[in-house]
Amino acid sequence: MNLFSVFDISSAGMSVEQTRLAVAASNVANAHTTKTTDGRVYKPLSVSVRSVASHGQPASYQDIAARVVGGSAMELSAAALPRPVVAGVVAGSAPPRLVYDPGHPDADERGFVSLPAVDPVASQLELISAVRSYEANLAAFEITRSLIQRTLEIGKSR
Amino acid sequence: MLEVSPTTEVLARALDACALRHSVYSANLANAGVDGYRRLEVQFDAEAMRALVTGGMSADVPSTPPEIVTTQSAVKLDEEMAALAKNALQYQMLTRMYEGSLGTLRAAIHEGREA
Repeated sequence: MNLFSVFDISSAGMSVEQTRLAVAASNVANAHTTKTTDGRVYKPLSVSVRSVASHGQPASYQDIAARVVGGSAMELSAAALPRPVVAGVVAGSAPPRLVYDPGHPDADERGFVSLPAVDPVASQLELISAVRSYEANLAAFEITRSLIQRTLEIGKSR
Repeated sequence: MLEVSPTTEVLARALDACALRHSVYSANLANAGVDGYRRLEVQFDAEAMRALVTGGMSADVPSTPPEIVTTQSAVKLDEEMAALAKNALQYQMLTRMYEGSLGTLRAAIHEGREA
């Protein structure tokens, strides 16, 4: 049983949560962006996350169970456990909100401005959830560290 | 591994299972945000622990390795954190007990005198 590979799992979790945080922050920040570099209204982004085994293949949980049970206790390795990766950041397809504002420079001929379909409540929730998950991974990381330290102290006490 | 006593052996196995459980719970936390992820759990034969509690002097230490199984439930951050913290405490307790079981060997080496 190698505790060191747990660090990789927790840091994979942290980097995924960081991406979610950045994307949610970008959605909130761009809630009123009517024109992006491609000349169109900002589209809210979302992150898709999936689990992979350490060798990069999508993880099938039955697979993992079978592989680990086959080995003995000493051969059990956290390397076979699934870790999350960001599969992609995709723009949503929700239609923009139309707000009547004839004086706006980006208003169309009828006087409507297209505003991004950013849901402020959902974005806030996403922010909170990303931060909480990040903290959970950080806590797991710290606990792993203290367990390894404790293990190194075996036999040292007298 | 050097076989000191059945107790030491049992404790080593329990430590192994505890470490595996820690990595599985950490993986659950890391994958909590993945759609459709079902939490993994470690099943470790309670026999080993029972052998330990009831004296642990029988030579037949159970040899069933801990198993990773998939459950049907999604990950809940708070429950997972609680399980992780509890397991970490158990790990620390087991390391103390392991040290204690090595103490008898130490006493033998020093012919019973204070080391």
